[in-house]
Amino acid sequence: MTIFTQFVWLAGILLEGVILIRAIYGKFLTKYYLFYLYIASVFLGSIFLYVVDIVIHARLGRLYWSVNFMTLSLGCGVIFEISRQVFAHRVTLDRVARWSMAITFGAIFFLVSVHAFLLPQWNPTTNSADLERDLRIAQAIVLMTILFLAGYYRIETGKNIKGMILGLGVYVGASILSLSLRLLVGPAFDTAWSMIQSSSYLAALSIWAVALWSYDPGPAPRPPISGGEYRTLAGRTQELLGSINDQLDGTPPR
Amino acid sequence: MIQFVFSLLIGIALLLILYFFARGGKVSAEGSAQQLREAKQTLDSLQFGLLPNDLVHRIFAREDLEYVRRAAAPQVQSLFLSERKDISLAWVRRVRGAILSLMRFHRGHARLYAQLNLSTELLLAINFARLLMVCRILEMALYLRGPYAAPGMVRTVASTAGTVCTISEKSLVFLKVNQIDPLKNDPSHHGASV
Repeated sequence: MTIFTQFVWLAGILLEGVILIRAIYGKFLTKYYLFYLYIASVFLGSIFLYVVDIVIHARLGRLYWSVNFMTLSLGCGVIFEISRQVFAHRVTLDRVARWSMAITFGAIFFLVSVHAFLLPQWNPTTNSADLERDLRIAQAIVLMTILFLAGYYRIETGKNIKGMILGLGVYVGASILSLSLRLLVGPAFDTAWSMIQSSSYLAALSIWAVALWSYDPGPAPRPPISGGEYRTLAGRTQELLGSINDQLDGTPPR
Repeated sequence: MIQFVFSLLIGIALLLILYFFARGGKVSAEGSAQQLREAKQTLDSLQFGLLPNDLVHRIFAREDLEYVRRAAAPQVQSLFLSERKDISLAWVRRVRGAILSLMRFHRGHARLYAQLNLSTELLLAINFARLLMVCRILEMALYLRGPYAAPGMVRTVASTAGTVCTISEKSLVFLKVNQIDPLKNDPSHHGASV
């Protein structure tokens, strides 16, 4: 194990521990339970793999991918948590985000099943990088959908959620880029890929540690307004758009 | 290769969106007095300042050009065309600005509602986008060819706007606005209060 890998591994365990301890100390572990479930699983997984590496190094490869896929799946819970928090009290937007999640992840898992059934030589452990890239792409699509909707409706997020989004986004973005380059360049890119992956994960953990140092859910949303009022607002906006259209339609008299 | 380009594009797009998300400015208070006042001003400016038929016909009146051509020297004609072009460009830019303000106001208020109507929101987003595009095309036509020199181009723009108008009418029927609030949708009532 190189010094860099050793450093990233230990620093990661330390940061994961700090994030968990701060949440327990600040009593907000249950507020973002899906996020902390992910952090706890990564924390325990990292310690387990570290011990395995010292005791039975030969089995590390196979165990690494098994643990990695488990944490990767739990990572989808982080996106679920982000959507739940960003669109709290916005039923429709939350539903849109969940649908996009179901469709993208469903498509990925469907493709994996098709590959597994139709191609006997294909299995997730030998094609682990491809599978990871596909799952990261699915995560990126859902994250972009959430960010687009939040930006379009100018929904404010607190420091905690903003940090969660930034940390996950940086890690997912860097993973996709490095995995894509690995696909193109081949095994020669393995060392660089490993470094990019580890550094971006460490960056994500650092962002999470800072953003989730204390509980800050952001501004409390105003109580939701009834559907009737919404229809009136939408109707009036449409009406005005229609009137502008009428005017533009007859603009330069010919 | 396609897989590589696709995943590369997704990765870059995500990092770019994150960058804009991270540097995003502070959102003004929901339904604040200032926001409402600005929206009211925008609506007043659109309905009573920019859109009245008289004003629009005056800016694009062909009779004016014919009169100047008949009665004035070439230098005066050129000055007239240049000033009329500036006025028509300023008008279309202000209309576009007002539409943008209206769009921001609608989005700012729509976020307060727990249950949005997805199809209505999609239609509104499409209508706003098309209107903004129509304004931009009109602006380019006026800039490149002047207020009178591009009838074909103007007709194309007008027909695009007509399509937008039809979509708006359809969505109005879907929403049944008259049934929701009959008093405030009276044509005689210039509903500047959104």
